[in-house]
Amino acid sequence: MRLDFVRMFVDSTISLFKEIVGPTVDVPSLTMKPSPVAGREVMAIIGLAGDAQGRVIFDMDTFTAVQLAGHMLGEPSPGMTPLVRSSIAELASMAIGRAISEINDCGTKLRMSPPTVITGANLVSYDQCYETLVAPINTAYGEVRVNITIQDLD
Amino acid sequence: MRTSYEVTAMPKSPLTCLIVDDSAFMRFHLRRMMDSFDNVIATEAANGTEAIREYGRLRPDIVLMDIVMPGLEGVETVRKICDTDPGARVIMISSVSYKEKVADAMAAGAKCFIPKPVTTDQLRKAIEDVLSPETPAQELL
Repeated sequence: MRLDFVRMFVDSTISLFKEIVGPTVDVPSLTMKPSPVAGREVMAIIGLAGDAQGRVIFDMDTFTAVQLAGHMLGEPSPGMTPLVRSSIAELASMAIGRAISEINDCGTKLRMSPPTVITGANLVSYDQCYETLVAPINTAYGEVRVNITIQDLD
Repeated sequence: MRTSYEVTAMPKSPLTCLIVDDSAFMRFHLRRMMDSFDNVIATEAANGTEAIREYGRLRPDIVLMDIVMPGLEGVETVRKICDTDPGARVIMISSVSYKEKVADAMAAGAKCFIPKPVTTDQLRKAIEDVLSPETPAQELL
């Protein structure tokens, strides 16, 4: 596990959330969990490839996703609409893109995939054998967990 | 609070703009910003292939281009657009803004680079800059 990169992903997410979602954000602790990661009702998944590989999953409940998207859109949303899904995907993309930029500027080549958003009940993400670090971020609209797995290729 | 922006370097005829982003949220967000400027007509494309087709059809005054997109990504799309129209005015707007990627985008023909999240003021300044013939390519980082 590249803990230095994990820290960058968590820090970039917090700073991005502060800019876009509001100031009420904190991370009580990071926890290590074996795969699979059990998600909540909404998951935004971003793949990582290059000198290292892995993925970042943002998971949250539907209420939090709808409220976050409503804040980003500047108007309340009636539910889990396509535009809400897209807003959550973009929030994840901006957070991870910021960290990817910093990591590349430090000399490690790392690319990110476009985000994929999955919604449903009892979602679970299976990875082959990697452990995952989980950072819970509390926002004014509920908790967003950032589940990070990243390994060097060699 | 100011609710309407005048893009001072804008021509008298409507400014035409092509918004290229795979994210429906970003297209919505950028269109709303563009709508806050006076005399702007915005069109959207959701991927690079669609962007090239729409650029050829409309020849817009400016293009707002994302980088990370499925299929044909943003830098390659800019390269293809600028191959057919070296005068194309493309503003990159991306969550990925490391130095090498910014340099790639500018080398491909982009006139300006803004990291996400973009503000209305940043967008207005970028549009004014790319419409001004004296302004060299630049990054708004």
